[in-house]
Amino acid sequence: MTKTNPPGEISYEDARAALTEVVKSLEAGGISLEESLALWERGEQLAATCRAWLEGAQTRLESAPE
Amino acid sequence: MTLQTSPEEPAPLRQVARILNDYIGRLGSIWVEGQIAQLRRRPGAQQYLTLRDTDEQFSVSVVISAAALDAVTPAIEEGQRVVVFAKPEYWASQGTLHLRAREIRPVGVGTLLEQLERLKQVLTAEGLFSPDRKKPLPFLPRRIGLICGRAAAAKDDVLVNSRLRWPGVSFEVREVAVQGVACVTEVTEALAELDGLADIDVIVIARGGGSFEDLLPFSNEALIRAVSKCRTPVVSAIGHEQDSPLLDLVADLRASTPTDAAKRIVPDVGEELRAIAQLQQRGHRVVSNRVEQDTRFIDESRRRIRSTITSRVQHGLVEIDQLSARVRALSPAATLDRGYAVVQFAHSVVRDPQEVPVDGELRIRVAHGELTATRTKDGS
Repeated sequence: MTKTNPPGEISYEDARAALTEVVKSLEAGGISLEESLALWERGEQLAATCRAWLEGAQTRLESAPE
Repeated sequence: MTLQTSPEEPAPLRQVARILNDYIGRLGSIWVEGQIAQLRRRPGAQQYLTLRDTDEQFSVSVVISAAALDAVTPAIEEGQRVVVFAKPEYWASQGTLHLRAREIRPVGVGTLLEQLERLKQVLTAEGLFSPDRKKPLPFLPRRIGLICGRAAAAKDDVLVNSRLRWPGVSFEVREVAVQGVACVTEVTEALAELDGLADIDVIVIARGGGSFEDLLPFSNEALIRAVSKCRTPVVSAIGHEQDSPLLDLVADLRASTPTDAAKRIVPDVGEELRAIAQLQQRGHRVVSNRVEQDTRFIDESRRRIRSTITSRVQHGLVEIDQLSARVRALSPAATLDRGYAVVQFAHSVVRDPQEVPVDGELRIRVAHGELTATRTKDGS
């Protein structure tokens, strides 16, 4: 899957891994408000990317003949 | 004795005749074996017959007294093998040569059997009857060479029975003498001729049953050697009860009768068609089973792929929801939801009004988005 992604676009696996990293950083604590604000915003973006990819896959599955 | 002659000093014929008579007379009385090629009894004290070699085309006249001929019982007949005790004679007044026989004896069956047995041993030792010399018969011959008697039942037996089995069968028939003095020569010649034809794939030598003496030519050494040299497979189809002729041993296939030969040289068309139909059915069954099996396998594979992917996608959605919920929980989002706002200037959080100059551009982050503001002068 990763290999078929157009350049500049992040793959599902990479997005998911990055999202997991964001959660870990937030959980670790000891970060400034600026950093946590930035992490939150990035997490929201990554989650949107993953969700879009998964919903696209679901649509393709449903449109394929049984 | 040599004659010195020249056109000027030729030898008179009487002198030549005397010399010939002298030469021939030196051979003396000898025992000679051969076959009676011709015997015509006539009134008188002298009887004349033609003696022929059993294998090759050599003949000589024999003169015998009626008394010596009549002394043999049963009476000597044409075609019979005999030994004669004779002296060669040159008949000067006619310029002919003959054997003057004093005694004639038929070669008995016992003697013939012994000769046959000896020949069989010699040829066996030479390997002529060896199984690894046997050539396989073609499954379906293009043309079949048939050597048989003139208007013989054996011929019809082979032709009719072969056509019943395979209507398209093609024959090249050579009708020859199948007994008597001409038999060996005629069969051998027909064999050589048929062997030379390119599209003859098998040669059948057929003859109905007969007496031991009738079948003797089919044990003849010259004929047996000719068969062993044939490039085309040869089938022996000589009807007989007990003593099988040597042809049976040298032939590539021995049929018990001419009818049996027909069964061996062509396949049965009906049988073949049934066998092919059966093979066709089996092939069809195997292929359709395979197609069915593979169709099931592919359907099953698709089903499994679909369910695996579906469950992975579902799982992924749940996971992303959970991760995104945790991001939200750990972030300042909850605080912002309660109505607080974060004010930033130059990417830093503002904690003291002194940090912001007049006309400074401020970013205010609230729960559901952000807005910008500019610091005015009287903000002290």
